Amino acid sequence: MKFTLNWLKKYVDFTMSSAELAERLTMAGLEVDSVDELFSHLANVRVALIDNVRPHPNADRLVLCDITVGSEKKQIVCGAPNAAAGLLTPVALPGAVLPGGLKIKKGKIRGEISEGMLCSAGDLGISDDHQGIMELDAALRPGDLLEDALGLADTLIDVDLTPNRPDCASVIGIGREVAAFAGTELRRPPVDLPVLTGKGVPFTVQVDAPAECPRYAARLLRNVKVGPSPWWLQRQLLAIGLRPINNVVDITNFVMLETGQPLHAFDFNKINGSKIVVRKAGPDEKITTLDGQERQLDPAMLMICDEQKPVAVAGVMGGANSEVADDSREILLESACFDPISVRRTARKLNLGTDASFRFERGVDPQGTIYALERVVRLMIEICGAEPVADGFDVCSSLKEPQLLELRVQRTSDLLGVDFTAGELAAFLTAIEFKVIELDSDTLEVIVPGFRVDIEREIDLVEEIARLKGYNEIPTTLPVVPMRFSEQDNNRLLRRKLVEIMTALGFSQAINYSFVAEKHFDLLGLAAADPRRQTVRLLNPLAEEQNVMRTTLLPGLLENVRRNVNHQVADVQLFEIGKIFQPRDNELLPEEKFRLTAVLSGRRHANAPVIHFGQQPCDIFDIKGVAESLLNELRLSAVKLVASEGNEPYCEPGTLLDCRQEDVLLGRCGRLSRTTMKNFALRQDLFFLDLDFELLAQLEQTPRNFVPLPKFPAVRWDIAVLVPDSVGGGEILKAIYDSGEPLIEQAEIFDVYQGDPIAEGKKSIAVSISYRSGEGTLDDDGVGVVHQKIIDLLLSGFDGQLRDV
Amino acid sequence: MEDELLALQDEAGVELASVVDNNALEQFRVRYLGRKGLFSGLMRKLGQVAKEDRPRLGKLANEIKQNLEKAFTARKEILSRQGSTDSAAFDLTLPGRCYPFGKLHPVTQIMDEICEIFAGLGFGIAEGPDVETDFYNFEALNIPPHHPARDMHDTFYINDKVLLRTHTSPMQARIMENNSPPLRFIAPGKVYRCDSDITHTPMFHQVEGFLVDHKVSFADLKGVLSVFIARMFDADTPIRFRPSFFPFTEPSAEVDIGCVMCGGKGCRVCKQTGWLEILGAGLIDPEVFKKVDYDIDEYSGFAFGLGVERIAMLKYGINDIRLYYENDLRFLGQF
Repeated sequence: MKFTLNWLKKYVDFTMSSAELAERLTMAGLEVDSVDELFSHLANVRVALIDNVRPHPNADRLVLCDITVGSEKKQIVCGAPNAAAGLLTPVALPGAVLPGGLKIKKGKIRGEISEGMLCSAGDLGISDDHQGIMELDAALRPGDLLEDALGLADTLIDVDLTPNRPDCASVIGIGREVAAFAGTELRRPPVDLPVLTGKGVPFTVQVDAPAECPRYAARLLRNVKVGPSPWWLQRQLLAIGLRPINNVVDITNFVMLETGQPLHAFDFNKINGSKIVVRKAGPDEKITTLDGQERQLDPAMLMICDEQKPVAVAGVMGGANSEVADDSREILLESACFDPISVRRTARKLNLGTDASFRFERGVDPQGTIYALERVVRLMIEICGAEPVADGFDVCSSLKEPQLLELRVQRTSDLLGVDFTAGELAAFLTAIEFKVIELDSDTLEVIVPGFRVDIEREIDLVEEIARLKGYNEIPTTLPVVPMRFSEQDNNRLLRRKLVEIMTALGFSQAINYSFVAEKHFDLLGLAAADPRRQTVRLLNPLAEEQNVMRTTLLPGLLENVRRNVNHQVADVQLFEIGKIFQPRDNELLPEEKFRLTAVLSGRRHANAPVIHFGQQPCDIFDIKGVAESLLNELRLSAVKLVASEGNEPYCEPGTLLDCRQEDVLLGRCGRLSRTTMKNFALRQDLFFLDLDFELLAQLEQTPRNFVPLPKFPAVRWDIAVLVPDSVGGGEILKAIYDSGEPLIEQAEIFDVYQGDPIAEGKKSIAVSISYRSGEGTLDDDGVGVVHQKIIDLLLSGFDGQLRDV
Repeated sequence: MEDELLALQDEAGVELASVVDNNALEQFRVRYLGRKGLFSGLMRKLGQVAKEDRPRLGKLANEIKQNLEKAFTARKEILSRQGSTDSAAFDLTLPGRCYPFGKLHPVTQIMDEICEIFAGLGFGIAEGPDVETDFYNFEALNIPPHHPARDMHDTFYINDKVLLRTHTSPMQARIMENNSPPLRFIAPGKVYRCDSDITHTPMFHQVEGFLVDHKVSFADLKGVLSVFIARMFDADTPIRFRPSFFPFTEPSAEVDIGCVMCGGKGCRVCKQTGWLEILGAGLIDPEVFKKVDYDIDEYSGFAFGLGVERIAMLKYGINDIRLYYENDLRFLGQF
């Protein structure tokens, strides 16, 4: 809602500066978005009198004007056809900066000195009229500042209205609030229309849809002289950014801004049958609205029609077929009250929001219909010389009674934490035109004025009290509540734990959008039947790249890696813990499951000193190690990482590992395939880990049970065996542990060697086994027996040969 | 002979690995590689082997000698690089052997901070679905269809009943319908609005909080939020409450803090007002209680919602909201 300080001052007296006013409005719930001094750019523009106009010696289309500005005489080169001796016109003097950015300087134009510029209204940003220089009122004094001469100086204030305050979508509404906090009176412009006697109204109004149109009032005006509005009216509209059109339209706009009641003027001669019918649109009806657009209507839309056709979209915009034109003589004025939901639906459907629909959608004062209508009539008599026809129509079939509410003083005090008396509450409400009756010391009966459509319950009155008291006048206390343990979501705590582990492992946390491009599934090479292609789809995505809810976190992270590498951050260790979304049959909402996904690319020791750690690129054991550390920290010892027998389309064959506890597949890790790298424009090896958090959260952690520390020393014996290439080191370790020998404490592979002098097809695996007994210190004989058993086991189990160490 | 050579190689290898200083290294050299050393001794025996074996064994012996010499040189280098135990030999200006941690996303850091403050005040923490029903997102919060307040929420729809939640407030209704007062919870999470420009991303994070009990007042709301703001920012951060509108609170308030950029003098960030909007709050509207069958004369409560990105921007001086979701390590590394 925009208004100017001078406009507001017509209705209420106050002494606050514009900054103070803005502050008070904001604190009253009418948030001021901006305060702008209007026409401050006119500082160097003054009224000039053209004394004489001479031809320019070097240019046919230019003239030389001798002007008087105050006591000075100047010569100005001008190209306007209406420059004439005796004319008063604005001159921009050197130093002025016009709205288009033009800086005025003294200079020569085609060899003749020009000491400024004579301006059109358009040049000065006063209107969009660029037709020749402004012809000012002859009564103005040459030399005066134009701003002062035309009374332009004003302050524009823009209030960001909340949807519950349509009453303040009017200057009078703002004035009411100002009067309340300034402690002054609100002055409504009087309408006092001439008393008329007539013999019946020459038109009829018929409301067929009373639910959508609780009130419809109309008046007819004759002998209307349509023309440009007077300067004060034009200036008022221009100041808030509205373009003046003609006096009739300008008056309806002005009164809407003044009172909050949208109004419409029809050319009465274009209304067939002298009849207004308020009805729903027919199935195939169309209307061309005032903006020149043809609009297809639907039967839910409320229309203002004549005997045959729609002439306006009710509460939204008038029709071109009944538009007021320069030759219109008879004007039918409409002031009505339409149902907010109906107007909102229609405006939405037509994608047509107007100043009128803005107000109707939020609710206009059903008691204010006639006042606004008569205000227009009054102004049209004054400005357009109109002659009103006696009487009119006021169809109010389903008008709501004023709200009668009870306000409990104690309840109000309890809710706000302030002790109020009935008298204090009554005073607050009366100041904004509520009527209050004190029933007893704890109960007030409040009659809500019609313009406050938002006040329907006691609590709404409590809010008014809080607002008028001032939120900052309410004390600050802490609630007294019973002590209670605050529940924490266990899954949330586990996710926090995961985040800690991952950052400790050097991974930084990514957060990507929950919606992704469907083409990601193709880039990953997912099969047509892959469940990750079953997506929750947005009806109205912002972009095609964000049209489905994600079913995997990997593509987002791959794009993050590409972005980082493209910005010369080549070592990337990122993880994300976030939701994926999968549609469910027979359920309204999809399943939302958290996943943990990590990607690793570049050097193993990113951000660590090269002198100590070297520059080796990471490999598959790095990501496997991440998975192992994670499982370890989570105490999930039953979860194993094993070479996968399945496949992931985006994983390099032979690098895929399953993370599983028996039959439960928790997730996978591996190296991204060449094809997928290419699809995501990645150029360096990338390793991924992708885990189902929900499954992880269900697993039982190894309990923390204390085991007494060993009393006796351990001994380490080494073995090196030559085994066929195909034997995995992990299988050797597993065989050692599975042997069930109680003395074995730990086994560790310390070397794997292939090549000369070892025969082709074989490799040497060296294992260090540590033995310990709880009973006593082990001697060589005791260890030797067990160690020999292990050697025999490995040789027979893996077709091995002993290699001397 | 061959066995002896290989045994010598293995023995030397093991011994070399245990050499930790230059003295021991010199002893090793004399013992194995010296003119009277073990290797030379074996070489002298080469003349005694069968003539046909000689070239093969000779070649093997050579290889072993070269290997040993190479290993010896490598060891020597390692020892010289480590320097002696004499501290003067360390270049202490070199960087330490540090193991860098990864970084938490700034949104997570702020979110954790917020949750901790409220957990300290006894609030429980609960989460809800990102994909939400129109009922919980709007209707249960007193925003019926065609309510103008829906204009304040640019909503992503899945279908006419299902949408991406536009705020974390649906958790009020979800928690209240399954629990009885007294209640105090916060609900952190992702929210979505179809809006994208320099100051808006289509996804962002909010923390909703509410408290319901007998006789909870607006003054209590002010108290709890003042404690929060003093913890989150500075203890002496100015705060003001001003009237606003949310369909699910009445009275409703916007809470501003004194601009942290200019100290309240007025700057670009606070649009010259000296104040920054930090959260929305209010007493829970009786309509919300009615939807979950609470007695509106028996209970009252307050609710508030705050934007995590906005707080992070103010606390860390981040000036472009889009940075949050690009996951650029040069950005993440700063927090």
